[in-house]
Amino acid sequence: MSDWYRDFANSGLGATITKQLGLPRPVELRRFEPGQPLLPGPAVVGSAGQGRLQEQLTTLLIDAGVTVSSPTADGERLSAVLLDATGLTGPADLAGAHALLAPAVKRLAPSGRVLVLADPPADADSPAQAAARQALEGLVRSLAKELRAGATANLVLVPAGAEAGLAGPVRFFLSGRSAYVDGQVLTLAAADVPAGQDEDRPLAGRTAVVTGAARGIGAAIARVLSRDGAHVVLVDVPAAGESLAAVANEVGGTAVAMDITAPDAGPRLARQLLARHGGADVVVHNAGITRDKLLVNMDADRWNAVLAVNLQAQLDLTQALLDTEGALKAGARVVSVSSQSGIAGNRGQTNYAASKAGIIGMVRAWAPAFAERGATVNAVAPGFIVTEMTAGMPLGTREIGARLNSLQQGGLPVDVAETIAWLAQPASAGVNGQVVRVCGQSLVGA
Amino acid sequence: MAAQTRKAAIVGGNRTPFARANSVYARASNQDMLTAAIDGLVARFGLQDAQVGEVVAGAVLKHSRDFNLTREAVLGSRLSAATPAYDVQQACGTGLEAAVLVANKIALGQVESGVAGGVDTASDAPVAVNEDLRRVLMELNRAKTLQQRLKALSGLRPGHLSPSVPSTSEPRTGLSMGEHAAVTAAHWGIGRTEQDELALASHRNLAAAYERGFFDDLVTPYLGLARDNNLRPDTSMEKLGKLKPVFGKGADATMTAGNSTPLTDGASAVLLASDEWAAERGLPVLAHLVDAQTAAVDHVHGGEGLLMAPVHAVPVLLARNGLTLQDFDFYEVHEAFASTVLATLKAWEDDAYCKETLGLDGALGSIDRSKLNVAGSSLAAGHPFAATGGRIVATLAKLLAEAGPGKRGLISICAAGGQGVVAILES
Amino acid sequence: MTAPSLPRLFVRAALTARGRGGELPGTRLARARVTVDPARLADYSAVCGYPLTGALPVTFPHLLAFPLQTALMTERAFPLALPGLVHVRQQVSVVRPIGADEALDVEVWAERLSSHRRGATVDLCAAVSAGGAEVWRGRSTYLARGATVPDGAPEADVDVPVGALDRTSARWRVPADAGRRYARVSGDVNPIHLSALSARLFGFPRAIAHGMWVEARALAALAGRLPDALTVDVAFRKPLLLPSTVDLATARAGEGWDLAVRSRDTEHLIGTVRPT
Repeated sequence: MSDWYRDFANSGLGATITKQLGLPRPVELRRFEPGQPLLPGPAVVGSAGQGRLQEQLTTLLIDAGVTVSSPTADGERLSAVLLDATGLTGPADLAGAHALLAPAVKRLAPSGRVLVLADPPADADSPAQAAARQALEGLVRSLAKELRAGATANLVLVPAGAEAGLAGPVRFFLSGRSAYVDGQVLTLAAADVPAGQDEDRPLAGRTAVVTGAARGIGAAIARVLSRDGAHVVLVDVPAAGESLAAVANEVGGTAVAMDITAPDAGPRLARQLLARHGGADVVVHNAGITRDKLLVNMDADRWNAVLAVNLQAQLDLTQALLDTEGALKAGARVVSVSSQSGIAGNRGQTNYAASKAGIIGMVRAWAPAFAERGATVNAVAPGFIVTEMTAGMPLGTREIGARLNSLQQGGLPVDVAETIAWLAQPASAGVNGQVVRVCGQSLVGA
Repeated sequence: MAAQTRKAAIVGGNRTPFARANSVYARASNQDMLTAAIDGLVARFGLQDAQVGEVVAGAVLKHSRDFNLTREAVLGSRLSAATPAYDVQQACGTGLEAAVLVANKIALGQVESGVAGGVDTASDAPVAVNEDLRRVLMELNRAKTLQQRLKALSGLRPGHLSPSVPSTSEPRTGLSMGEHAAVTAAHWGIGRTEQDELALASHRNLAAAYERGFFDDLVTPYLGLARDNNLRPDTSMEKLGKLKPVFGKGADATMTAGNSTPLTDGASAVLLASDEWAAERGLPVLAHLVDAQTAAVDHVHGGEGLLMAPVHAVPVLLARNGLTLQDFDFYEVHEAFASTVLATLKAWEDDAYCKETLGLDGALGSIDRSKLNVAGSSLAAGHPFAATGGRIVATLAKLLAEAGPGKRGLISICAAGGQGVVAILES
Repeated sequence: MTAPSLPRLFVRAALTARGRGGELPGTRLARARVTVDPARLADYSAVCGYPLTGALPVTFPHLLAFPLQTALMTERAFPLALPGLVHVRQQVSVVRPIGADEALDVEVWAERLSSHRRGATVDLCAAVSAGGAEVWRGRSTYLARGATVPDGAPEADVDVPVGALDRTSARWRVPADAGRRYARVSGDVNPIHLSALSARLFGFPRAIAHGMWVEARALAALAGRLPDALTVDVAFRKPLLLPSTVDLATARAGEGWDLAVRSRDTEHLIGTVRPT
């Protein structure tokens, strides 16, 4: 699906008109392709206070082939600015953040990255330290809104002991995989992180289950997981079997036509995964339906159907996989697709938003148990994603929906898929119980 | 050659939903549908770019352009292009015979895996030019000089333009299959009510099987159709009873559109393999194809009913396997017509017939009717001739797998030309 | 002699139809060393439904005799007028299968002028020999409605008894042009077979099928199941109006067959096949 407005705004005449009128000028985002360098240009790494991560970050960048340049050097456009703020002791130290970021952001290239790393405020030794750490959130969220030309700013909170899990998230936020993830705060946890992964095929040898895989975001997830090396088991309702088979054949996967709300769906899927694939490494709960109506007009069928498919089925499937010995392999990754509606609410979507908010509660509650198995469970909350579904919306609603975010455009299914594929990586062991919004820093529910 | 044989495993199957002729698949060719059925099988078992031992399939109504139908379907599918294929045709027995052929090669160790299938379209049936026109054209083709060509062309007549449309008439008798079946129904005294009851059971069983998700991993929607569109879950004895007879005469006119199969479009495919091949890929073994038998009767001169050949084949198969007709947990008797199934059962129950015509010591006896076509059959699903065998093999294999190990099922399929193909599957 | 031209004979017969009567002439007409055109044999087999083999179909030699028989009947001395003659019975004896490439000697004559309740009948006989030995014999009985016979003539015998024939073994959809098709391969261009218009001139509502074609097609349905040496005896009952749908009934009778061709309530042909 093409973004006609973005294409227009970037055309010769369109550029002139949009500039004159002060209209938003969305750019084409830098998106990931296999074999692509982590960053197209140099990065700078600086710190506010005496941080403990600067050296680790610099090494990581150099290992990834990124030129680390001096914060004060002139000229060359920067692809990324990394701020190690783990040394903050109080608000005064934030001056260091300003000192690094202000000149660097001026030099930021299109689709550049600002990534701030800090300790969680809750772990602070003093109110002053907590204040300084919390202040970063305001800084990053505001900066994300100021950035132009597809650049993003995100904050990663690294508790003491979680440093080993830093590489995966840092690579994600710098790479094109996070093109539509902006203004987010991610909290890492201490975890055993397997050493090294093939960055071009991080999921090689893994089996990934995707529900609702016949079309739209689900199909995009299947494609990206397959591109990253996974064998994908694609699940969708029998009625969608035709496109399900087509996507399965496209990605070299296995099609499983089943109604996930059927009473025996979980055990059936668990048995098949065990028998055919020796268990699953990745489970993506993507299947979801909408049955929109204002609450007062909503019948029980609409309410129940949405809750059954979007929430109860995720609980039941996951439980069945947990209960079946070997169905979820060691180090498994479960990713649930939530929604912006689940965070911000949406008129006419009480049922849908309830189900999607419920998912957030579910992953947070399950995270500790998953951590014990060396596994993770996370949610991804898409914002305005351009799909067949949104193509059916009225033009005005669609265009407003697409522009109400810092990147001034709708995301693509692949953006959601990339985030999920990242959470599915072995290197994402330290990301657990998180909700990652893929919304371009939507104004809704921010 | 392998010193000893092994039994071929049925891994699973896939088919398109079956569509009444001139409905959803009106524009789909045999090759389109067979490719779709194979691709659905590939998707189900992750066989993309895999080379199976061979693909064997066929169609009853076939265009001359489809001389290599199965191979062309393979080339258009996601299977490896290095997969060999060939066509078979044994009328309505095609699908089952294809499975038997693949199973036999697996049994002999000549292949480790194979796909058996079938397809038919009554909507996109081949229409040939008028026989007279064809002869003029052939003569024109043979002509070498202008004079010869002009002479050939001078044979053209306006009437030559009317096409030659295929029919389901038996070539030697000129009787349609329904007319033949009506003769048999009258001979065996098959009544209207029992035929309608069988049709009703077929619709109810098929609908129930769909409802419980039985076909989730046996059927892949095609061209937007997710279920067989001949299925009438809400049909009743009353509704079936209102239909006017279309075959038979007078009091024997008991066969209606409700208790006869309609012309249908669709395709099916079954994956067979050695146990080892399946195990290496983590694929299930639903059942094994134990043995099979074909038979033919002389419906032209011999006085036996056109569709009665399976009646002759089954006792041979039973004897070879040391079984009785009652030693089965499931019976899949193809419902070409309700009367065909009932005549088949009645013949097996008839002591005199079994002795005199089949040369047995006595009647084979009755079967437990609750084990018959429990997931529906052709009356409800429809009957795209060559695709029916694949439908039945996959359905029975799954029924047996559900029932647990050591269960046994009998397949009986009647075919045009007075032929029959029968087989035993075992879980 | 060479084969006479049938259309010319039919015209001559029509022009000389009036004023016939009296005894049968003793004329015999013959052709020697007749060979069969393979293309004609193929056409004939296709029209009648016979498989094309190296042997002549049971009814094929009739085609060789028919022009001579027609010539005989058009002779001034022949007592019955050809136009309006109805083929009511045909008997064929095959001594042994005849190779398609054999040179055949054909001889025809007329005998048994008989009285019939509706007129008179006459048998046109044919003997076909190869290398001096008879291999095929045919007897065609024709009815001349309203004709009279000299005193002392025998009673006509046109009945062929058959057993019960309950089982329909084939259904034929006989097209409107069946007469024209058979006329083309047999040379029997009698106008009653060619079109509704020409048939009406002779009192038929529509064209009627050639009796010999109906017989040939019935025998073709038994191809592969006929004895090598046999006699076929069929009676042509009601004319088969074109087009129509008719049923063939066959039943085993010892080593032979009984057969009938019928439509809903009309019997067109009954006959027997017996080994000899």
